[in-house]
Amino acid sequence: MFRRNLFSSDRVVGIVFIAPFLIMAAIFMVYPIAEATRLAFVSYNPLRPDASFYVGLANFQYVFADPLFWQSMWQAVVWTFLSTLFQTVFGVGIALLLHRTIFGIAFFRGLLLFPYIVPTVVIALIWRWIFNPEIGVVNYSLQAMGIIDAPIYWLSTPTMAMASTIMLNVWKYTPFVVICVLARLQTVPIELYDAAKVDGAGAVRRFFDVTLPQLREVLIVVIVFRTIWTFNKFEEIYLLTKGGPGTSTFNLAIYSFEQSMANLKLGAGAATGVVMMVMLLVGSIIYLRIAGFEREE
Amino acid sequence: MNRFFPSSARKALLYLTLALVTFFVCFPLVWALSTSLKPKSEIFATPPILIPRTMTLENYEALLTGRQQYYQADPKAAVSGPSPAAFFTRWFMNSMIVTIGSTLISIVVSTLAAYSLTRFRYWGRSSIPYFSLLGYMVPSIIFVFPLFLMMVRLELTDSLWSLILGYVCITLPFCMWLMWAFMRSIPLEIEEAALIDGASRYQAFANVVLPTALPGIIAASIFSMIVSWNDYLFGRVFMNSLDNFTLTVGVMLFFEGTHVDWGLLMAASVLMTLPMAILFMMLQRHLVAGFGAGAVKG
Repeated sequence: MFRRNLFSSDRVVGIVFIAPFLIMAAIFMVYPIAEATRLAFVSYNPLRPDASFYVGLANFQYVFADPLFWQSMWQAVVWTFLSTLFQTVFGVGIALLLHRTIFGIAFFRGLLLFPYIVPTVVIALIWRWIFNPEIGVVNYSLQAMGIIDAPIYWLSTPTMAMASTIMLNVWKYTPFVVICVLARLQTVPIELYDAAKVDGAGAVRRFFDVTLPQLREVLIVVIVFRTIWTFNKFEEIYLLTKGGPGTSTFNLAIYSFEQSMANLKLGAGAATGVVMMVMLLVGSIIYLRIAGFEREE
Repeated sequence: MNRFFPSSARKALLYLTLALVTFFVCFPLVWALSTSLKPKSEIFATPPILIPRTMTLENYEALLTGRQQYYQADPKAAVSGPSPAAFFTRWFMNSMIVTIGSTLISIVVSTLAAYSLTRFRYWGRSSIPYFSLLGYMVPSIIFVFPLFLMMVRLELTDSLWSLILGYVCITLPFCMWLMWAFMRSIPLEIEEAALIDGASRYQAFANVVLPTALPGIIAASIFSMIVSWNDYLFGRVFMNSLDNFTLTVGVMLFFEGTHVDWGLLMAASVLMTLPMAILFMMLQRHLVAGFGAGAVKG
């Protein structure tokens, strides 16, 4: 202990271990966010990067004057609301189903969590195949069962395209809700149910009076997280419909992407990104208020 | 409910509901698998059939050997250029390289950082994890163009390095958060014992702390691998030559041209899901543990 050199001093070990993270975080997190913010205030031509100049709020004015921006915003709100609603309802339902000790439950649990790991590209490909209007199995089955008379054009009519992307999103991310709720359910004291049973509460009453209040906190967290992430999703929509038909499934992420890639207006794309970040920040503050920042330390 | 249903009926109802839910969850995947095993003649059969009458591996063979597509066999066909199938194995390798590379970097960096943050006292030690958490809420669409411009300056575009570093940007924040949560739960006493016995800090870290932290490291690795393997956006923006595409970007090219070969596409989908499915089955326990620690990107 007396012979320790510079590198075995505790202070140095602490610094050496945290340094790579701080450097990486500065380069790959802080810098890109700063750069994204800077781009929102300049006119940037990717073909002539040296000729960029400061334009003040012009990019924001451009974006706010664009009807497509507001359309994308509204569509993103609808998309996010419906996706989160269905994910939460199905997620809680499935978690309650899985919260049993019956034979084979581990098997079902594994299967029902599986969609979370399936690549979005794969889901989009499968969706395009099974929802194909002429040769897809979904339209065939619905017609064979007599539910619909004519094929539904799932991906080429605005309403149905929106519905298809919502279905994709719900299918993929319900497992997230299931896992969070399931983890919480396992900590609900069994005595609460026994007490309710003694008091003569039926299954429905027990759900609303015992289970739901216990789930309140986790549900708030899950809903806030799902809302924030769903609002900012890009691939789930882009890979299925490319924002189409027309612009009927655009959200802000796709709007930003198209401004940057197709219109080469990186400034307008970045301005949209800044708007998204501000909304994200507001959402996160709400979350931290609810969840409590001061858990420890 | 107890009064109206005997318990066996309730159990049956439960299994029925479970079966129904499982059906909706699994049907798309099962249908994809079924399509991928069908010969061309059966793919478009009406009524559609779930279990192929003649199973064939020709779609998988085409992907793995890079055989020409049927619509390219005719030299006068509208579609020209190399078949996307010819690149499939190459894309698969690229995806593997960037997934493993970025995960390795994220895990090493976040494990070291988490150890430092939970074992040493300095300014910012309690706020860094929360800023990191905030960083992982930021969507990739905001990172992608600034990072792209950075890669252009570093002359790394169209190189797998750009993707490895790009994915580190998405995976590092939540690996950090997860490892921090995990390291915090490891009691200090066990390494203190090692230190008193004369081990150096590094020895205590490598021989005592790391083995204890292994479940956390596994959970963080799985999440990191899933995110990198599944990404499309970064690959699409950073890469521009067929040789360097990752699977997700490459496979979307199968849609270009007038014919869509659904059998081939579904075979590609199955092969793309397979590595993550194997990982999932092997390590499902740890995945759930990771969700518990709150480090989930979704």
